[in-house]
Amino acid sequence: MSGITPDQRTGRLGIVPARFGPKIVGGAEIVLRHIAEGLQERGWDVEILTTAATDYFSWENDRPVGTAVEDGLTVRRFEAVKSTPGTERSVLGHRMLAGDRLSLSEQERWMNDDVRVPDLYHHLLLHADEYRALVFGPYLFWPSYACSQVAPGKSLLWTCLHDEAAAYQDIYKPLLSGVAGLFLQTEPEHELAHTIHPQLAPHAVVGCGVEVPESYDPDRFRAKYGITGPFVLYAGRREGAKGWDELLTHFSQAVLKRGLDLRLVTMGAGEVRPPAGLEDRVIDVGFLPDEDRNDAYAGALAYVQPSRYEAFSRTIMESWLAGRPVVGIAEGGVVRHHVQTSQGGLVYDDAEEFAEALAVLVEHPHLAEQMGVRGREYVLARYQWDTVLDGIESNIVEWTPAPAGTVAELAPAGSPETGGGL
Amino acid sequence: MRILMVSPYPPQRDGIANYTAQSVAALMREGHDVVVLSPQPSAAHQHLDFMAGPRAWAAMSRRVRGFDKLVIQWHPAFFYRNSSISDRSAVDLAMAAVFKLVPQVEIWVHEYEYAEVDASAVRRRAARTTFSQVDRIVFHSESERDMFLKTVPVDRSRTVLSEHGHAFLPRTSMTREQARESLGIAADAFSFLCIGFIQRHKGFDRAVHAFARLGSAPHARLDVVGSTRLEEPEFLAYLNELEWLTDSDPRTTLHAGYVSDELFDRWILASDVVVLPYREIWSSGVLERAALFDREVIATRVGGLEEQAAQRRVTFVDDDHALGQAMADAAGLPLDPPDTAADATELEELPWSDLQQVIVRRAAVLRGGAPRSKASSATTATTARRRDDDLDRAAVLVRRVPPYVTPPPTSTRPGVPAVKRLVQRLTAWQIAPLISRVDHLQAATANSVALMAEQVRDLRDVVDALPTTSDRASADPLPVDGPRAGSPAD
Repeated sequence: MSGITPDQRTGRLGIVPARFGPKIVGGAEIVLRHIAEGLQERGWDVEILTTAATDYFSWENDRPVGTAVEDGLTVRRFEAVKSTPGTERSVLGHRMLAGDRLSLSEQERWMNDDVRVPDLYHHLLLHADEYRALVFGPYLFWPSYACSQVAPGKSLLWTCLHDEAAAYQDIYKPLLSGVAGLFLQTEPEHELAHTIHPQLAPHAVVGCGVEVPESYDPDRFRAKYGITGPFVLYAGRREGAKGWDELLTHFSQAVLKRGLDLRLVTMGAGEVRPPAGLEDRVIDVGFLPDEDRNDAYAGALAYVQPSRYEAFSRTIMESWLAGRPVVGIAEGGVVRHHVQTSQGGLVYDDAEEFAEALAVLVEHPHLAEQMGVRGREYVLARYQWDTVLDGIESNIVEWTPAPAGTVAELAPAGSPETGGGL
Repeated sequence: MRILMVSPYPPQRDGIANYTAQSVAALMREGHDVVVLSPQPSAAHQHLDFMAGPRAWAAMSRRVRGFDKLVIQWHPAFFYRNSSISDRSAVDLAMAAVFKLVPQVEIWVHEYEYAEVDASAVRRRAARTTFSQVDRIVFHSESERDMFLKTVPVDRSRTVLSEHGHAFLPRTSMTREQARESLGIAADAFSFLCIGFIQRHKGFDRAVHAFARLGSAPHARLDVVGSTRLEEPEFLAYLNELEWLTDSDPRTTLHAGYVSDELFDRWILASDVVVLPYREIWSSGVLERAALFDREVIATRVGGLEEQAAQRRVTFVDDDHALGQAMADAAGLPLDPPDTAADATELEELPWSDLQQVIVRRAAVLRGGAPRSKASSATTATTARRRDDDLDRAAVLVRRVPPYVTPPPTSTRPGVPAVKRLVQRLTAWQIAPLISRVDHLQAATANSVALMAEQVRDLRDVVDALPTTSDRASADPLPVDGPRAGSPAD
């Protein structure tokens, strides 16, 4: 445990994911949920502040606005407002991706031409004093950007910083230097944060927790979903930013040109759009219950991670826990860091390397098994929730003052670089 | 009471937006039901593009229904899309029509275009019609109220004064030491600060000039912090001017970029003296935020600042010399004489070579006392950094050219907007690709210049790494007492 005593766990913690619910697809949202549950179990007074929307693409307010207890947590939902067409955001986003520098006005318009949550902003404007700390995440979304500036002295960021064009925009710099603290998940993310902003707010690499399933039954998954033959697995949002379209192209080459007899099974949200000739090889099983998801990992030849923009990559941990190797994109840093450190898989830079990596695993099942074992050991040694929560709560105590009138004493101010994690 | 508040709003960077958010919080705490409407999408509940001119106010006539009170945070830039008298007058009259629909109308005047309204009888009539419909007009100073009433003569009993910043709260929780560390300000530095939107009437250039006359004091620094409100030529030209000025003195730095409310307060907290060298202004949010952190202020005696300052720690000055003297006094430094050369008459009699020396000496004073060509070793690193900054600026100059924006098909003359729209539709198939091509060319040019800058930087690194002639000489001294082997003398 962290050494934090019960009388130091004083004051309410507001955890602020953009979406919240049991079926949310999105790494940061899932992690913030686990953090909220874990901190509440440890005795903290926790409240979720989120939108009434659960769908990342439509942002439809499909949950009632207001306060309710959901799965044991107090959840305060606010209306998600999408009152602009998003056209300008799209145009500016493309320019940003093309390497063009946006003016400050353009950056602001890019940020505000998206989902906004005015009632959450006003709730914090009036009630921020009632919280000891507010944990936002990821940095990219409007609620983190706009609402963490209401009470920066109480605002902590579950940063999820990726090496992407948005991270370099000026509008984020005050966040990275001015909030009360930054939680980082990996060393590559830590290095990136320093690269982007030399004067970072207090920060700590606390890692990220992954639940360890008790058992796996890959045959049950195959039978239930009618999957035959070897397959690779992709889990998450199917969108360009996550590398889905590139994955389809690479997979197409591996199957059609390299001649690998593989299927691509995908779970999560977003359009599938398989390329011509691969319609029967790309299988969407939708959003899976936890048990089926775990079994899917165990049944795969390998898990494929095509996303350059990962702050942690929870899914590759889940694959390793299931004892299966990972074939991940080298560019971007985080995935390569995990794969190189664990030696639990292979990385690729282009379609040919992707195909060859899969070919090696197909042709040498023993190597695939060894990589899976090494991956599982890596996760079990580093990414357990207890360790992560220890780091989070010790930093909350250090970075935010206890409410007046409590017995908890304010921890002495440390250097901006603090430990408490990995 | 149901209140509709019209104002820019966070997260937009704008002092008035910040001011409004804190006012809204205060009203909500009093139990009012407040809905905020901002000109652009923001954390406000609603938004409406006032650049649509009178049509926006037609939309407002629907939005205001059901509210007991309409409150407007007034700045001309929020409501007028161009400087045309007829267009502005039309907006004024459209506003007046909307004001009649609400039981109470209140306007907080942050800026007003006195000269423009004074200069036009049409505008004066339109403005008077508009403000006659307002139940309460709030000012931050008596002199501003007097000026307004002179320009727009409405019933004085409808005007009130309000203490600027009564609802302000600090937005940073850092200590002064933490703030300095995070901004890279040494603990023993004496720090002057100019902060806010970068525009000529703020007069930040005056502070740079005044600071340059402070005697030798490496521990003193002046930071100019802010961004332009709009990417329009006049603002960008002033930004460029400030860049050149601040580059001339290694103790002066321009931090042009996004400033959040928290960062704004952090800079103030970190500073020793906040300098407000304004050429014109009626009230200042910066002055309030400086007071919030008990920072000393040096300000020019303009607008309503002196009234606003009341008992606060403010030194008022009337001209550039007094500004320099006040800054020198604050830092405990001597002030260099304003001109080390002769007066204007003597200058005319000087031979050209002496005149040139005068120019060199004057420039040296502006740079902080050290002629550029004789940079000391202590400034070598700064010079290297400056060279890199110059390279970066090469691309920035191209990127700052504002994008082409198709003129809106508007006009106050009946039928003209329809004709303009028709022309736009008929020519769009030709014009749109050209606009796109121009934008791409601009981006490509800037990217190319940036690429070249990288190459130049690499070459400079290579050149810098080469041994100099003197290095070579000392490493391999030539014989000095006779001809070298193989020389013609052999």
